[in-house]
Amino acid sequence: MDKKIGVYICTGCDIGDSLDMERLVKACSPPHETKTHEFLCSEEGTKIIHDDVKNEGVNTVVIGACSPRAMVDAFRIDVPIVERVNLREHVVWTHEPKEEATQLLAEDYMAMGIVKAQKREPAEPHIEDTSKAILVIGGGATGMTAALEAAAAGYEVVLVEKNDSLGGHLAGAYKDIPSQAPYRDLEAPLAAEKVKAVEAESKIKVFTGAAIDKVAGQPGLFDATIKTGGGEETLRVGSIVLATGATPYDTSKLGHLGYGSSSNVVTSAQMEEMAARGDIIRPSDRKKASSVTFIQCAGSRDKDHLPYCSANCCTNSLKQAMYVREKNPDAEVTIIYRDMRTPGNNELFYAQAQEDPGIFFTKGDVTGVSGNGGRVAVTAENTLMGENIRIESDLVVLATGMVPTTVEDPILNLQYRQGPALPDLKYGFPDSHFICFPYETQRTGIYAAGTVRHPMDTAGAVQDGAGAALKAIQCVELVSQGKAVHPRVGDETFPEFFLNRCTQCKRCTDECPFGTLDEDEKGTPKPNPFRCRRCGICMGSCPERIISFKDYSVDMISSMIKAIEIDEDEEDIPVVIALICENDAYPALDMAGINRLKYSPYVRFIPLRCAGGTNLVWISDALSKGVDGIMIFGCKHGDDYQCHFIKGSELCDIRLSKVQETLDRIQLEADRVKLFQLSINEYDKIPGLIEEFIEALEEFGPNPFKGM
Amino acid sequence: MSEAQLIKPDLGYVKEVMNAGGESLKKCYQCATCSVVCELAPDGKPFPRKEMVWAQWGQKEKLVNNPDVWLCHQCSDCTAKCPRDAKPGEVLAAVRRTAYQHFAWPGFMGGLFSDARYLPVLFAIPAVLIWLVMAANGGSLSPEGPIVFSKMMPITTGVDLLFLPFAFLALFSAFVGLNEFWKGMDAQVEASVPRKGFVPAAKELLGELIFHATFKKCISSANRSTAHMLVFYGFIGLFVTTNIVLVYEWGHKLLGLHLPQTPLPFSGLGLPPKIIGNVSAIALLVGGVLMINNRMTNKKDNPASTYDWVFLSVILLVGLTGFLAQLTRLANMAGLAYPIYFLHLVFVFYIIAYLPYSKLAHLLYRSLAIIHAKNVGRDALTLAAPAAVAAVPAAAVSAEPAPEAGETAEEKKENPEASA
Repeated sequence: MDKKIGVYICTGCDIGDSLDMERLVKACSPPHETKTHEFLCSEEGTKIIHDDVKNEGVNTVVIGACSPRAMVDAFRIDVPIVERVNLREHVVWTHEPKEEATQLLAEDYMAMGIVKAQKREPAEPHIEDTSKAILVIGGGATGMTAALEAAAAGYEVVLVEKNDSLGGHLAGAYKDIPSQAPYRDLEAPLAAEKVKAVEAESKIKVFTGAAIDKVAGQPGLFDATIKTGGGEETLRVGSIVLATGATPYDTSKLGHLGYGSSSNVVTSAQMEEMAARGDIIRPSDRKKASSVTFIQCAGSRDKDHLPYCSANCCTNSLKQAMYVREKNPDAEVTIIYRDMRTPGNNELFYAQAQEDPGIFFTKGDVTGVSGNGGRVAVTAENTLMGENIRIESDLVVLATGMVPTTVEDPILNLQYRQGPALPDLKYGFPDSHFICFPYETQRTGIYAAGTVRHPMDTAGAVQDGAGAALKAIQCVELVSQGKAVHPRVGDETFPEFFLNRCTQCKRCTDECPFGTLDEDEKGTPKPNPFRCRRCGICMGSCPERIISFKDYSVDMISSMIKAIEIDEDEEDIPVVIALICENDAYPALDMAGINRLKYSPYVRFIPLRCAGGTNLVWISDALSKGVDGIMIFGCKHGDDYQCHFIKGSELCDIRLSKVQETLDRIQLEADRVKLFQLSINEYDKIPGLIEEFIEALEEFGPNPFKGM
Repeated sequence: MSEAQLIKPDLGYVKEVMNAGGESLKKCYQCATCSVVCELAPDGKPFPRKEMVWAQWGQKEKLVNNPDVWLCHQCSDCTAKCPRDAKPGEVLAAVRRTAYQHFAWPGFMGGLFSDARYLPVLFAIPAVLIWLVMAANGGSLSPEGPIVFSKMMPITTGVDLLFLPFAFLALFSAFVGLNEFWKGMDAQVEASVPRKGFVPAAKELLGELIFHATFKKCISSANRSTAHMLVFYGFIGLFVTTNIVLVYEWGHKLLGLHLPQTPLPFSGLGLPPKIIGNVSAIALLVGGVLMINNRMTNKKDNPASTYDWVFLSVILLVGLTGFLAQLTRLANMAGLAYPIYFLHLVFVFYIIAYLPYSKLAHLLYRSLAIIHAKNVGRDALTLAAPAAVAAVPAAAVSAEPAPEAGETAEEKKENPEASA
């Protein structure tokens, strides 16, 4: 594309008052024409740009104004390339007005913006003939809901259930907890009603007694092979909802709670089956049980078993206690809990269960369970009674936790280079980002919902089914337009590989958090563009720098670094570049600006899609150019990870450790390059971090490569 | 680790406490807010949190022998702050009611007080008895001539012959129950814990009782102590008055002392009992009205149960009928005076003869429980608390483990009985 660049600078919001606009305009042009306006985001202001596009043939626009996170609609210009330069939050709101250092900062940012605009190419979406059908795996409450919701929205659905009939765990349940106000009365399980609805829906093709043999391809182009008793069938689908649920914790590990040694010790799942069959009995002699003791957290919240809380067992035991009393009003029910956890409205249900005079509650740590002639004795310590207690009853129910089905079996059998299973973040639950992106797994286009995602009750599962169906729809729609799904929704760029120079080092295939790349026999990466989330981690990993996007490449960032003016005579003035994560650090910097926090004017920020996209060549380019220090702001890693792309910040840290070794070798201080973990709300820490870094640089002295 | 104690939930007792006014007890989820806000609970093993879980599990033995439920003065601070509306104050009151019934001698009397249904019986008994004694003495509700109540029912051969035996019976019954109660309480405290002695402990109790020192710590119902004090001293005054008259009458009858005729005149030797009686009656009435007013205004935090209302009504009616009997007599309204006096006797009988079973029994049980607590040094912790708090800043660092040490001592105390 032959570019005609137009540069537009807003002088409002203190920009004009803080900077010497004449100098700034002069620095930007020639060869580009630079125009200013006191209120560029106004109708009158943007008209200047629109007119130039229409009349002057401007097709590449550089706007120096506020943060690109602000005034998005006003600056939506109908040209292939619009580059925003943040003169407001990055410059005038955070630095002293009318000072030389502030002026130089603004000029550098404009230069960097212009050079990026020069390097950028218009995005060309990757379009293929994709499928919009949705595959739902698992015919329980979640899966049936997902299938019904997707069908109701007009999408073809394939529903695969491993059992011979639909319904999942609920199909065999006796009662369910209340799903609506006032959250007091037990309800009939909703399975039957949903099964009927699924069977009546013509857009849902149901496979029962079926399993997924394998899934190959990418979003929009998944080929799922379904194996049934009668053979196999391969279907093309656009996205997948994984709703295979959870299984109760392995009973063979519950010997310490009497399971196996007495037949009168059962699990909550067995209790449910017994209730569905009829009377609550003690299995040893099949007599009616007149006393039942529930042991909560059986194999849960225990480092030797399931370390997590399954969130539903307490409510489930309350439900079972209630129907034991319903079936036999003389029965005495005891519940020994660690902490009664009844999330959300289930608290009301707990209050209701408490009202029953025949249900006895105590907190306690169970120390032993032993059978004794039909009766089972449970001993517990740390109880509310203030002493160690022993309770004897006819039946003991162990409230066991949930284990996601994906722990035992990859289920999907993905034909991905990175393996057949969905990666997990913790405890085996397939997940990519628990808080920000529910349902997202680490495989694009595959959405986990229901208890396979995290433990929940039926209401949660139903909600999950609907939510995941919406994500699956969003996926097939965006993919059909060649756009990124999430988190960079609508991004039309995708990574392009200049494979002639590929050395088959496999770093990109290994490091991609989403398993985007397969490879051929020689080990050359084979991209699957629809699996990609456009984070650029592959771009950062490539030592040959052969991976780039139309608007984001190694060369572009290098050129921006080179566009920074370094006055070699001013040795006392440090030059720092900061590569910043645009998901957390960038908004934090904007907030620092909004709060008018002041920090050093010697730092130039360059946003990255993810700190994991940091290519080491930028570090060497910067240092050899004479930059004194390089800060990298990534997001927080560790347990409370925040990365939009799983672990970009951690990857960056690993890469930097190698750079620091090199720096040591060439007698440069390793701390000239440093990664900072900054979460989105820590804007107030920014000035301190910068100040500290610059102080350290001053101690090191100027970069010896300066002026070489 | 002590041996585990077998706990048997007792659904029957749970329901008993619920019926006795503790219907909210199952709502408790053991957050212990109640024990924290209670101004009267001792530092170690405070009430009413533990009593709530015992009540939920129907642990009758633990509760009826527990002096702590009597250290509670039902300020209702706990009820006001309870996040679950479990009303610990009400539950403890209900537990106390079941305790009177548990220790009642003879046992059937406890049964009569366990259900509001039996109320008519409880009033019918004195009404019939008084009628019979009145008839036996040849009296009636409408004697001729100037109003002299002894014409309806002579004091010595009528009132006293009926009331004195019942009073002594009540005292004996109370003694039997209290003796059991004391033994039950004492069994809960290890023998090695030093005892202060009954008399010194009782003296301490009296010291507090004079100005209702403990009661005044209540926050939610601070004015209740004033009302209670009025009723308390009103009763004492009326007791004194009655005994003066008793001495006059029997002194006259047995010792031939020359004494003024009844009705006592408002002069001479008749004056002191008149003054004491009337002042006390007014105190009783004012206190009773205040109590009712408190219950009406604090409905939310202190929903008085049927039992509470019945007893409060009886107190008020004793005062009211006594006072009205005097007024109608002075106004020479015979048609009203005699029936009112008859009712007065019915209510007085209720109070005297039912002493060990009605709410008035709290006078005995609470006193004994407080004496027991003082005897073993339990509620001394309460009194020492402000001083201990004041001492904390001086030793802020060492202050932390101190309560823990207290806990372990308490635990040790508990353990042997757990295994026993």
